Amino acid sequence: MPRQVLEADVALAASGDADAFERLYRAHSARVHSLVRRMLDGDEADDVTQDVFIRAWQKLGTFRGESAFGTWLHRLTVNVVLARRKSVGVERGRFITDDQPLERATGRRETVELSMDFEEALARLPDGARQVFVLHDVEGYRHEEIARMLGVVPGTSKSQLHHARMALRRYLDR
Amino acid sequence: MNHQWTDRLSEYLDGELMSAERDALETHLAGCAHCRDTLAELRAVVARAQSLENRAPAADLWPEIHARLTVRRRFSLTVSQLLAASIALVVLSGGGVWLALRDGSGTSDPTMAAFPQLVAPAGTPVAWRARTDMAVAQLEETLAQNESRLDTATVRVVRQNLGIIDRAIEKAQRALQADPGSAYLNLHLAQTMRRKIELLRRANALAVAES
Ligand SMILES: [Zn+2]
Repeated sequence: MPRQVLEADVALAASGDADAFERLYRAHSARVHSLVRRMLDGDEADDVTQDVFIRAWQKLGTFRGESAFGTWLHRLTVNVVLARRKSVGVERGRFITDDQPLERATGRRETVELSMDFEEALARLPDGARQVFVLHDVEGYRHEEIARMLGVVPGTSKSQLHHARMALRRYLDR
Repeated sequence: MNHQWTDRLSEYLDGELMSAERDALETHLAGCAHCRDTLAELRAVVARAQSLENRAPAADLWPEIHARLTVRRRFSLTVSQLLAASIALVVLSGGGVWLALRDGSGTSDPTMAAFPQLVAPAGTPVAWRARTDMAVAQLEETLAQNESRLDTATVRVVRQNLGIIDRAIEKAQRALQADPGSAYLNLHLAQTMRRKIELLRRANALAVAES
């Protein structure tokens, strides 16, 4: 969809036009849903994606257009995900502490895991390592920002990123 | 992971090592195939992460999102507004229209002034019915767009009324098929159609007032 059309829709949606907001949903839902799906467990992705768009609708009045709407929505998505992570409070072995994170995190035999594709392997990482990896390598955040968002020191973000990458090396094949 | 430098390879890859560390690591890399392989794999992981494709949710989440949006933006009607929206229900249920027409009060309804072209249709039934059908179609389309702004109770009342009116229209049309020249039945049908237009206009006005 042409950018200026979406920008007009942002203004319309901010004024309460639900049809315009639906067009924004159609244009951005894949990106939002994919980010949520990679950051959280798959069965939460639909709910959290809905929450993201509800929040966006409520907060559109505060969107001032300094950044692109997509960037603003992306940031909002990360905030909703991280708030969810705090409120749920249950994190699977949050950070990797040795060199066999997938085996430890899942308790599965390596032969089973070798049949996983990259996204599945990513989903099986401990939450903390997975979120660092998604934010840094998929979404392009810097360690300082990630550390602030996750409430850890940058060194932790760096070492978790490295562990996550090391674990994912074996699942590069599609 | 016997190599002291292996754990630094991601930082090296990301350009985050100080120059002294970077130089030392590069010296090590020159002589260590294991670390070179690992570095290549890490680079491939990063490239894979950057090429991940976004996928839309399997189910369309919009209906649910839309329903929750309108919860916040809905408004509640006052009792008098609900009563106003229910006028057609009161008038039309139990044969009220027939009684109203017999005593003449139906034609003196001031809300009908807005639709002078619909008054006294008996002589030219085809023409007024075409105009009325068009007006109804436009209003129904508008209401379909506006309905989400009304709260559930109002929508229910409006739909109930429309259902009653539609059944009355259907009945009148069936009677007219048996007796096409009846001025009485034509007037009754026109009256019922005007009730429908009034109801649609009222519902739209309520919705637009909150948009
Ligand atoms: Zn080495």
